Amino acid sequence: MKSAFTYERAGSPAEAVALLAKHGPDAMIWAGGTDMTLQWQQEKVSPTVCIDIRDISELDYIEIDNSGIRIGAMASLASLERSADRHHILTMLSDITKLMATPQTRTLATVGGNLCNASPAADLSPAFVALDATVKIFSALGARKVSMLDFFKGVNKTEVGPAELLEEVFIPLPDDGDVQASYKRIDRTVVDIALVNGSAAVTVGSDGVISKVGLGLGAVAPIILNAPDASAALEGLKLSDVTREKLAKVAAIAAKHAKPITDVRASAGYRQDMVEIMLRRSLEDSISKHGGTL
Amino acid sequence: MTVLKVNGRPVEISNRGDRTLATALREDLGLIGVRVSCAEGECGSCTVLVDNKPMTSCLMLAQQAKGKEIVTIEGMANGDDLHPIQQAFIEEQGFQCGFCTPGLILSTKAFLAENPNPTADEVSVGMSGNICRCGAYPYIVKAVLKAAELMDETATA
Ligand SMILES: Cc1cc2nc3c(=O)[nH]c(=O)nc-3n(C[C@H](O)[C@H](O)[C@H](O)COP(=O)(O)OP(=O)(O)OC[C@H]3O[C@@H](n4cnc5c(N)ncnc54)[C@H](O)[C@@H]3O)c2cc1C
Repeated sequence: MKSAFTYERAGSPAEAVALLAKHGPDAMIWAGGTDMTLQWQQEKVSPTVCIDIRDISELDYIEIDNSGIRIGAMASLASLERSADRHHILTMLSDITKLMATPQTRTLATVGGNLCNASPAADLSPAFVALDATVKIFSALGARKVSMLDFFKGVNKTEVGPAELLEEVFIPLPDDGDVQASYKRIDRTVVDIALVNGSAAVTVGSDGVISKVGLGLGAVAPIILNAPDASAALEGLKLSDVTREKLAKVAAIAAKHAKPITDVRASAGYRQDMVEIMLRRSLEDSISKHGGTL
Repeated sequence: MTVLKVNGRPVEISNRGDRTLATALREDLGLIGVRVSCAEGECGSCTVLVDNKPMTSCLMLAQQAKGKEIVTIEGMANGDDLHPIQQAFIEEQGFQCGFCTPGLILSTKAFLAENPNPTADEVSVGMSGNICRCGAYPYIVKAVLKAAELMDETATA
């Protein structure tokens, strides 16, 4: 049987965490509710209290300054979709949202909810990992920062503690040069989660040298993976020296980190082969966006 | 009791937390133009407008709609005068069995508010959250284009 629950509306992060502390572990946060309502109906979770944070408008923003891009946890996928003109990294994130769900679901669904649901196949997480994003987590004690990589703890498990709230995702922008990123996924139908996905973010300094490479591998482990050895294999190279063969090698090193499983959507072998291709294409795309010729 | 604003009027629904907006609209208010098909946010049949934005009411809790303006298909016509989008769907036969039509009409309203002069391709993408299981898509695209025309006429008239 679906659990019966009462409803509480939080008007601020402080109110939300106070309500969480007051009601205990069976009180659950509803942001857009696109994952929560389904999980409740499918009896995967049994909340006794719904804490609705939809109206916390102070967490609904997308801001850009010299240091980076800040996305509030309550920014909807629809507003991220409509932020494309504001920065080329937002263009790339906007393109990701267009792969996600449907227009009507994107108006409900939030960026914070996508991260906190912590699906290994979620679409925003690999790009945020590749972009070396950090998140801000709010509690009664104040705010703390966690790297996007360390945020994910397992399937549907994150760093967010029982009386905490995800507040913000911060994407750093380089002091020198620029960052370009790309995301690729394989899906079965239009409205379905990815079978496997991969993302790359490449920073090129004003001297034309690749100063930083971030990679994110999704749906090949319980959490999103990175691949520091593969990143290192590309860092320090001049943009003009990058070749298709080099990128293929980097993708192959990165794909070794994958620990895919077989499930109804795809076999482990298929995921293993495809994650390499997703990464290679993401790398090629990021290099091309920098004006690199391959 | 919880008061919601639906189709411009205050109405009362049960104050239970554990009910979706779709259920409250259908069962408490008899607004059965809200169609629930997949109940998983994929098909778009249950689309309503919440503060002018299209949302799948099967995924939203009824209590989350408190303080917002809800529009269902029942609120589209003005008395006996059909909304231009409804008129366009009739003129272009933008449906077969009609089950998905309310959701499509509400999606059209939100879509045209953002893009009043779309191309056929933009319509296809804009309507991609509404599944028509009869496959009347070519007629639906024509209906949305016709609706844009009719609304443009009403606006300039
Ligand atoms: C039809 C359909 C298609 C979908 N397609 C995709 C897809 O293609 N790709 C994809 O990645 N996802 C997809 N999803 C999943 C879902 O829509 C997204 O994960 C969405 O971004 C979740 O956001 P939400 O605000 O609705 O989260 P909710 O359902 O409100 O919350 C999700 C989880 O996060 C917790 N939570 C939410 N916000 C916070 C916060 N600020 N702090 C702490 N905890 C929080 C909740 O308690 C819950 O456990 C799809 C869902 C549906 C229904």
